[in-house]
Amino acid sequence: MKRSAVLTGLTLSAGLLLAACGGSSSGGSSTSSSSSVSSPASSAESSPASSAGSSSAATSGGSSSGTSSSGSTAGSGGSGAPMTGDANLSTSISILAPSYADSSKSDWETIISGYNKLYPNVKVNLQIEAWDGFTDKVQTRIQGNDLPDILNDNNYADYVKNNLLYPITDVMSPATFSSIVPSLAANGKGTDGKQWAAPDIASARIMVYNTQLFQQAGVSTPPKTWDELLADAQKIQKLGNGISGYGMPLGKEEAQVEASLWIWGNKGDWVDSSGKITANSPANVAAFDEMKKFIDGAAVQPNPGATNRQAVADLFNQGKLGMYITHPGLVAETRKKFPNVKFELAPVPSKDGTTNVSLGVTDFIVAFDNKDDSRKQATKAFLDYMYSPEVYQKWAAGTGLLPVTEGAIKLGEQSTPENKPFYDALPNVKFLPQSNPNWSNLQNALQANGGEIATKSGQETLDDIQAQVDAAG
Amino acid sequence: MATALHPPEVRRRGRGRALLAALPWLAPALVLIIGVVLYPAGYMIYTAFRKITKIGVETGAAGWSNFRTALTFPAVPIGKVFLNTFVWTVVVVVATVLLSLALAQFLDKTFRGRKLVRLAVVVPWAASVVMTSTVFYYGLNRDYGLINKALVDLGILSAPYGFTQNATSAFWVAVFVAVFVSLPFTTYTVLAGLQSVPGEVLEAAQVDGAGPAVRYLRVVLPILRPAIAVATLINIINVFNSLPILRVLTGSLPGYGADITTTLIFKYKTALGPGVSSALSVVNFLVVLVIIAIYLAVVRPTREV
Repeated sequence: MKRSAVLTGLTLSAGLLLAACGGSSSGGSSTSSSSSVSSPASSAESSPASSAGSSSAATSGGSSSGTSSSGSTAGSGGSGAPMTGDANLSTSISILAPSYADSSKSDWETIISGYNKLYPNVKVNLQIEAWDGFTDKVQTRIQGNDLPDILNDNNYADYVKNNLLYPITDVMSPATFSSIVPSLAANGKGTDGKQWAAPDIASARIMVYNTQLFQQAGVSTPPKTWDELLADAQKIQKLGNGISGYGMPLGKEEAQVEASLWIWGNKGDWVDSSGKITANSPANVAAFDEMKKFIDGAAVQPNPGATNRQAVADLFNQGKLGMYITHPGLVAETRKKFPNVKFELAPVPSKDGTTNVSLGVTDFIVAFDNKDDSRKQATKAFLDYMYSPEVYQKWAAGTGLLPVTEGAIKLGEQSTPENKPFYDALPNVKFLPQSNPNWSNLQNALQANGGEIATKSGQETLDDIQAQVDAAG
Repeated sequence: MATALHPPEVRRRGRGRALLAALPWLAPALVLIIGVVLYPAGYMIYTAFRKITKIGVETGAAGWSNFRTALTFPAVPIGKVFLNTFVWTVVVVVATVLLSLALAQFLDKTFRGRKLVRLAVVVPWAASVVMTSTVFYYGLNRDYGLINKALVDLGILSAPYGFTQNATSAFWVAVFVAVFVSLPFTTYTVLAGLQSVPGEVLEAAQVDGAGPAVRYLRVVLPILRPAIAVATLINIINVFNSLPILRVLTGSLPGYGADITTTLIFKYKTALGPGVSSALSVVNFLVVLVIIAIYLAVVRPTREV
């Protein structure tokens, strides 16, 4: 009897131990590998380093007084790395950024080492994380009261709502901020009219289509209206052999983007004029029903609700997909690694064929308020250095996406002519309502439920989404 | 003896001193238990009653509102999620234990290459669960998965099937993978139990005229009872709390058709923040305690033979 009690106790306590540990044993998402420090990174290193070195030497004499006019003229003589702070600044700041490409870590390190030539006593801690689960990483640091001074993210309204940020114009000189294209910078302005975030890279969505499959299916021009799109997609899908017409990625990764393209194509919107989220408006429901028509009408790839954009791109790269909405990074990959796939770019179709539905995305730099003046100064100096033309241009090129400053866009248009259609689209793009305080709730609800359109009606799907947004408040 | 020689207070002081002397040896275990079991569990309960925004800023007391939200969040079929949790735990544990009994019996026989076979059984245990799940996830991919291709080439399927692309089939794939990764531990626990079955007892039963089935049911199984009890209990807790398998295999699906409470906790953390997900964790914790209590009360696994 006694032995059995001891055994019960033992098994129970072992169980409790397992129960406590079991929940947290999720696979740690990997940070980007920094092993591939490739040649572009080292060449990026060389030129800003030399200009930074010279400007540092020039300013160091005048920096202590700050009023010395000779010091300031010498400082501004450099080719691009402005020195806006005190070189003797001694503190440490931390940066949290997502991984855009394999080189992301070394691209940031290049900026940091250049910055440290100007400000040798500022220690910069860099943390790079994969996009997958990035929000959780930010959440962990906020909850642990370890706010990064500089965060690169695709959302800022939540941080504004929680009063955690400096207005970005507080930590950027006016000259730096004005180098950003105003129409893009406007995307970082909160609903309260304050400039909370500064875009750091941009991207646009355009349709890409496989010209060979179009030819085989007897389609001569890319579709403009939804009816043409449906008819063409069905023709292509009839080619058989596992070929799908239109790629509709409604999986977790980008359900919010695909859904936005459809509701805008029907002149719908997520937000009404008062700033309230109205996901289940009649125009949006009609757009979702149209998506359902495509799914039921055998015009899209199987299981759209569980397909991410990368999976759709994989199908396209294997020549098994007629068309999908793409971004510059994916196009570059197809061009580089799949030369057998012949493709063209075309505007995103809409219901009537005339509505402009180019979708733009910008990611942002935000600065957290750590209530420490020297960290604030160091942050400001860092951002001014980071956005200086040469430094920024190289960093942005490393992401594979589009830059946001006037100068870098001009250079980018010359150096990557294949991205011209995206650059052309950029001035007219419509942005996701990223400044809306409830946007992230809508994005979560869309990512969790958008794919349900494959099995539910448009009304049901969007009612669920609206209900989740309202409940998450 | 000692009790007879000393008055009670001396004995108590002696015991206190003994405890003090034992403390340095107990300390590492105590630190571990407090640090990785009690503190996190306590913090989880505390968090469940705090209002915490989605991005992690604490804004005050929440009362029971986190629990209400966790159980009534729109579009989440909470009843179905609990049912899934029950089906998931019961099916995986029962299938694992039954298969393990058979496997252990087989591995207990002497045959050429037994060591190699025993080693092979350990492999899924040695591999990370995330890795194993990912292998299945890619293997079952409709467009380029090897398992799908094999099934089509063997004529079992007429066309590739997106196993992990709808909630129902993805859930059962996850059940399969969960059984697969739970087998080694359970098999080895049962195998260890089998080693303790005395040969004389079996011989005696045989002499008394018991056939193989009776011998197994009446002699071997009762002796295996403690081993099976430990294996079942640990499996229940492990499977109930298992996040990685379902997360890898069903995490990218829309809706909540393949969720158990543990994966829902994870989804809540992103959508609603740590407060609500902690509340559901507390519920989860209570549910597992209840399941174990029922198991102990009904099966009485530790009862002496």
